[in-house]
Amino acid sequence: MASNSWQFAGDGDESDDDNFNPAPADMSDDENNDKDEEHNHNHRPAGKTVRQASSPVPDEEEEEEEEHDEEEDARPAKRSRRDHHDDEDEEQDEEENEEIDEEEEEEEEEEEDEEDEDDVHGGNRRKRRNKDRRAAFFDIEAEVDDEDEGEDEVGDGEEIEDFIDNAHPDDIADSGRLNDDRRHRELDRRREMEASLDAEKQAEILRERYGKRAPARGYGDMAIVPRRLLLPSVEDPSIWAVRCKEGKEREVIFSIMRRIEERMGTKNEVPITAAFERGGVNSVMKGYIYVEAQRQNDILVALDGILNVYPRSNMHLVEIKDMPDLLRVIKTPNLEPGAWVRLKKPAKHAGDLAQVIDVTENGLEARVRFIPRLDYGVRDDPVFQADGKRKRPGVPGPRPPQRLFSEAEARKRHPRYLQGNPQTNSWNYNGDDFENGFQVKDIKIQQLEVKNVNPSLEEVTKFASGAEDGTENLDLKALAATLKDSAKSVAYVPGDIIEVYEGEQQGVIGKATNVQGDIVTLQVTEGDLAGRTIDVPNKGLRKRFRIGDHVKVIGGSRFRDEVGMVVKIVDDRVTLLTDQTNTEITVFSKDLREASDIGGQGSLGQYSLLDLVQLDATTVGCIVKVDRESVVVLDQNGDTKQVQPSQITNKLPKRKFAVAADRNGSEIRLDDVVREYGGQQRQGKIIHIHRSYIFLHTTTTNENAGVFVTRANSVTTVAAKGGRNTATAGPDLSAMNPALKRNPAANGKQMAAPRTFGPDRAINQTVVIRRGGHKGLLGIVKDTTDTHARVELHSKGKIITIPKADLSFKDKITGKTIDINQRGGSRGGFGGGGGGRGGGEFGSRTPMASGGSDRTPAWGSSRSTARTPAWNRDAGGSRTPAWNDGSRTVNAYDGSRTPYGGATAYGGIGSRTPAWHSGSRTPAPDGFGHGSKTPAWSAGSDSWGSKTPGYGASAPTPGASGDAWGYTPGASGGGNSSSAYDAPTPGGGLSAPTPGPYSAPTPAAVSAPTPGAWQGGWGSGDAVSAPTPGALGAPTPAAYYSAPTPAAYGGVAETPGGPGYADDD
Amino acid sequence: MSENYVAPGQQRYLRACMVCSIVMTYARFRDEGCPNCEDFLHLQGSPDQIDSCTSQVFEGIITIANPQKSWVAKWQRLDGYVKGVYATKVSGQLPDDVRTTLEDDGIQYIPRDGSATEAD
Repeated sequence: MASNSWQFAGDGDESDDDNFNPAPADMSDDENNDKDEEHNHNHRPAGKTVRQASSPVPDEEEEEEEEHDEEEDARPAKRSRRDHHDDEDEEQDEEENEEIDEEEEEEEEEEEDEEDEDDVHGGNRRKRRNKDRRAAFFDIEAEVDDEDEGEDEVGDGEEIEDFIDNAHPDDIADSGRLNDDRRHRELDRRREMEASLDAEKQAEILRERYGKRAPARGYGDMAIVPRRLLLPSVEDPSIWAVRCKEGKEREVIFSIMRRIEERMGTKNEVPITAAFERGGVNSVMKGYIYVEAQRQNDILVALDGILNVYPRSNMHLVEIKDMPDLLRVIKTPNLEPGAWVRLKKPAKHAGDLAQVIDVTENGLEARVRFIPRLDYGVRDDPVFQADGKRKRPGVPGPRPPQRLFSEAEARKRHPRYLQGNPQTNSWNYNGDDFENGFQVKDIKIQQLEVKNVNPSLEEVTKFASGAEDGTENLDLKALAATLKDSAKSVAYVPGDIIEVYEGEQQGVIGKATNVQGDIVTLQVTEGDLAGRTIDVPNKGLRKRFRIGDHVKVIGGSRFRDEVGMVVKIVDDRVTLLTDQTNTEITVFSKDLREASDIGGQGSLGQYSLLDLVQLDATTVGCIVKVDRESVVVLDQNGDTKQVQPSQITNKLPKRKFAVAADRNGSEIRLDDVVREYGGQQRQGKIIHIHRSYIFLHTTTTNENAGVFVTRANSVTTVAAKGGRNTATAGPDLSAMNPALKRNPAANGKQMAAPRTFGPDRAINQTVVIRRGGHKGLLGIVKDTTDTHARVELHSKGKIITIPKADLSFKDKITGKTIDINQRGGSRGGFGGGGGGRGGGEFGSRTPMASGGSDRTPAWGSSRSTARTPAWNRDAGGSRTPAWNDGSRTVNAYDGSRTPYGGATAYGGIGSRTPAWHSGSRTPAPDGFGHGSKTPAWSAGSDSWGSKTPGYGASAPTPGASGDAWGYTPGASGGGNSSSAYDAPTPGGGLSAPTPGPYSAPTPAAVSAPTPGAWQGGWGSGDAVSAPTPGALGAPTPAAYYSAPTPAAYGGVAETPGGPGYADDD
Repeated sequence: MSENYVAPGQQRYLRACMVCSIVMTYARFRDEGCPNCEDFLHLQGSPDQIDSCTSQVFEGIITIANPQKSWVAKWQRLDGYVKGVYATKVSGQLPDDVRTTLEDDGIQYIPRDGSATEAD
């Protein structure tokens, strides 16, 4: 140190000053004393700090000097040195300077000693203050530096003033002061230089100091010998492969290590030189450890008694040439940002796909983003929360589904745990970071599954769609890279056209003829090697397609089972135009396969194409497209939507017998071909009927797989399945008439009779069986159902069940046939009334019955039933106006009109006939009243025609009735009647299921009073009959009204002729 | 006695030096440093340095009983090192500054992550 100072004193140099600190240096040289001094004072500390910071060398040198002392006791030595300094107070400035420096350094290094030395320091300081005059700068400065900070500031100001005051009158030589200043700076500069120059030396020192513990073994003189010179030779120990328990390789190696160390230096040292394992879950070398030793026996000795290793059962010598392969290391490709990985560690996310955002420098940790699984505390157990205990993570509940982070949800429950920035959409919630909805986390790469990630496109698209602008920025390249190193190699089958894109055979194209493991045998089809057969590993292969090829997507793509035509090929990405949807999709060529079939698969789980499914309580839809994991559904409103199978409530079974009515009221069923009325007039086959909606399938369009939906009442039948005669038969009114439905017994047989209430009158009546094996037997009705009666036979004493229609009721006393349903006073009139007809018991239909009052029950019913849907339906047709005209309402309630007024309206259906008017003016009952006067009746009475037509009505041959009617002026009416017969079903007329038959005779009967009128009426009726004449007659009140036909009997019964009947009977 | 033995329960704390590939527990690296590379890696007592210069990801454990005689040691270029447990492959990369230091010191750094084998 001392020598340094002297040198410094010696070579004070102006230029050095400049270098050291240019700006102040100029000033110091050229300006007056005041400034100089001020400057001096100001810049010195700076210089000093520089020195302090950059002069470890002197420190260390000093330390070295003292190192020996340090061991024993540094303090006494230093103290003595200080004492020595104290003694030499009068020494030159340089020396003092040095001394101070030294002291400072000591203080820095031995702060722990400071307190002990305080008195010493104190003494020093005092002395220094005393010699202010003589060595103004150094002492003050040093003192300031030594002082505590608070003192420092105060002292500073004072001293500066002192400084200036003292300097001016000071008689110290200018040159001397300049010199001092320069020396100081020089010293600083030198030290700085030393620090930089001596780096090597420093390093040496450092090495000496720290290197003692571990001798630098081998590194200095170790040159890298090429590996080929290291290849094993016979001189080297041999390596044996020893069987061990799978998964325990590492443990075994450590056990060997322990044994080696334990026996080291004993007489039975482990005689092996090395042992290693290359285990691992996916390693082919698992289940073995490899032991290097001179002799095989050494290994037996070494491994004897070590767990999990079986040296005695299985030991192979590894050939020398194979030895290097045992230690081959293949570099794992570094994770690149954008790559896909799967998470292993946070148990909640195990198996989830994640994308690498960033990788740390050493490649051991990666920042990944993945879709969080948050329940936002919904499932937090409040008890645990209260305790402050955390649930054991080892007990995972059902993990929440993957959902992007929602700030709102987080805020709802845990506003306190949420911090973030809405601008960047980055949040911290419960200690986890979220960016753009994704959770972002630093994860060690051993907690990531890097190989065999096999991300499915679904998973990947979840990430891609997260782009802010909504665009899909799918990095297919990264995806391809990820997929490529998947161990699941592409399956090639013989016949595939394959291209070699990597390796020696690059560019070769051929057809696979054989595939064995990873080796594909190619029959080369193009190029120089054409015709040759080569074997290539399937690593560098890809399937080759040509534009225009018809291919099917197989494998892991989202588009699996799509079939289409190749339109573009870029590397191993193939774009194809799908057959089904005509959309372009891009897939990897490995996922493609030459296709022979067309179209995709038709089902997804239990749902298949064209199925009707329930989406929610009010929505049903027809599946029009089946994707791999979703289906497209056309709902009843005509909207298509893509739904997951989970969104489907259930599948609606096809109801074979579902029936709807088209706009004409025709019955439509599944598989009927119908056409839209109006609109686009689309035509299609009914595939589903749901309520009033029908789903139709057409082959004329591809849209929605040809399915469209419409309302049932906006289609017309084009062709009914199986040739059901829907168009001509008209609506099945009996099926539509609720009144009929209410009385199923009558359904299909005849018009429903007005219901009679109370116990069946038939019970306890005496009856005669008219048909079947028991025909003619007498019995008593014991019990009845709607259709059948249980009759206790007088003769056999047993009870049989007979259709009511086969019974004729007899008066118990007189034995006369009676109508049990007669009511009131009219009953008397029926004393001998003809109940010949099976349906006769519902004689209420007879005009007579109602005839008691001025309206027939039929009318009554017609009035009530006039409002039945059937009527309304018809009302929708040409007949409507009349009905809707309110003839029903007005007339019906208008007292001035008879119910026939209604009939009038009815007549109005077919351009009402005056006849009807007249007829209405002469109500049927009247007509009946005068019935005997009508030709018809007269005819009937003459030839029992009245009966005949009646029977004719029930007789299958309209002709018969025609004949019967032929007599009558209503002959024309008879014609009508025949047409009426035609109308529903002739047979029906017979069996009287439809009112038609009744109506048939009716008009005639009714018309009897006013034949002409009737003709007109029926003529118009015929005109009207276009849609359904019979129907007209049938359900209409007219029919009912006309029910008088049977009532003809009734009429007869009523009429004076009635007894005649009775007589006949 | 057997200082290089690591019980199975402790094996998850194992780390491998990226320079010499020696495998030890984190605690040992912290307490003793790397027996081969301490000169320039200064792992002792420096968790940061341990984090950046050693790796938890390594495979293929090798017990070297006699580094001088063993061919395995020679092949793995471990023949100058102390006996102990090494890894055949250590994933991870040495930080650049450490790498430069090594170069400056004239020490040939052999990457242990498999990238060197391709060069041969």
